[in-house]
Amino acid sequence: MGSYIDSPEEGRRHRDLTVAAVFLVLAVVSFYLPPGIQDQVAAGVRASALKPFLMTQEALARARLRAEDALRLQAQLDSLAFLVVSQATMAEENQKLRELLGLQERAPGLFVAANAIRPWTAGSESVFLLDVGSRDGVRVGDPVLMRNGRIGLVGVIRGVRGSSAVGMDWSHLDFRASAMTADGSVFGMVEPRRGEFREADRLLLNGIPYYEHLDSATLITTSGLGGVFPRGIPIGEVVSLAEEEPGWRRAYWLRPVVETGKVTHVMVVVDDIALEGMLELLQSVDMPSPDSVAPTRQEGRGSGPGAQAEPPQGAARREGGRG
Amino acid sequence: MKRHLLVWTLVPLLAVLHFFLHTGLGLGRGVPDFLTLSLLLGARELRMGGGAGLGFLFGLLRDSFSAFSFGVFTIALTLVGVLGAKTRDLFVGDSLRFFFAYLAAGKLFLELAVWVLAGETARGTFVRVVLVEGSLAALYVAVVGILIILLVGGKEVLR
Repeated sequence: MGSYIDSPEEGRRHRDLTVAAVFLVLAVVSFYLPPGIQDQVAAGVRASALKPFLMTQEALARARLRAEDALRLQAQLDSLAFLVVSQATMAEENQKLRELLGLQERAPGLFVAANAIRPWTAGSESVFLLDVGSRDGVRVGDPVLMRNGRIGLVGVIRGVRGSSAVGMDWSHLDFRASAMTADGSVFGMVEPRRGEFREADRLLLNGIPYYEHLDSATLITTSGLGGVFPRGIPIGEVVSLAEEEPGWRRAYWLRPVVETGKVTHVMVVVDDIALEGMLELLQSVDMPSPDSVAPTRQEGRGSGPGAQAEPPQGAARREGGRG
Repeated sequence: MKRHLLVWTLVPLLAVLHFFLHTGLGLGRGVPDFLTLSLLLGARELRMGGGAGLGFLFGLLRDSFSAFSFGVFTIALTLVGVLGAKTRDLFVGDSLRFFFAYLAAGKLFLELAVWVLAGETARGTFVRVVLVEGSLAALYVAVVGILIILLVGGKEVLR
């Protein structure tokens, strides 16, 4: 005759199934949590269990930076110093002209230099972490730039904590940027397209009217439409025609100014007013290096050898160039 | 007892190694998925509840960096943990050949689950993501797993 009471093994199995079901439900709940709460959980995990690994990569990145060619850095410093000296009287002239015209003082624009850290785990290829956060003035939606011969758009900030931020680069499938040719004559939308493998990810300039024709090597910049990115940030150069719908639209492949794999030291524009001046300053100095001119956040605050190399008001904080 | 101790030393060690090599040193895809390997080894020592718990924990760690929707790896690794633990009831699995197949199938299942959960826009084609890249990653994990098992004592680790 069978027992009416579960054997201990059956009870254990039942309990086991319940525990497994609870964890599965929790996993499904985590998937459907509101994005804000998901970001908080992810940030909490990164700030606790994964912190040692992120600190290791940060330390390695800093060591790599210090090992950079001193001669090349010296050449950059000289170029910037020359530029600063040649424009030394501009602030004073500007002030006088403003007084004459009765213009108000413009609020200073800001940008923040930061180290970009890659998680390098599967499924996180388009995400980078920055060692600056809300305490440095970084906000969600701020554009992230890097100098790679020419200064270019890396991506955008998606989440911010006190001293860290998470951004997505242009290869992320959610990335979109309203774009135009550098002369402002043709407008379209830039979006990423997955390659056969991740290293082959490309940018596509879409929505170009069919009657417009773009030559190869035409520079494409952000248009400022929609208010996500400020106007004028270089995104890439036209390579070739990708697709067309006769009588309707064309799309062009772009060669990005910044390759996502090269992103190491970046600049976060925390105030759009700074952008124009920064672009002018960095593009007017013809530097051979692919790296950012701005020293790291730490150096910008005067702690490292690069503190002397900071642009006029310090790399982490300088006035906008429009005066 | 010795096997139990070996596995439970190996499980956290592999998890730490995964994040140290991938995130700490930034070695990327050249390094095998030690986290899934760790989960698959641990799940063979656990009941379903424990396997699910371990998978859930590892999934949260993975998702904190994920470019996909948060929760994709949490669900996928929890499922891998549950199914890994369930194989204890189905297979004795005391041979290297079984373990090779178990590790490869576990990793391939993870790739498939992530592909299904990641959504239409985030995932690549099934052939590329699961059949090509997934199969190669599964073989890589299985080979490295077997090498590690042999390195730490061979049959002592097998169940």
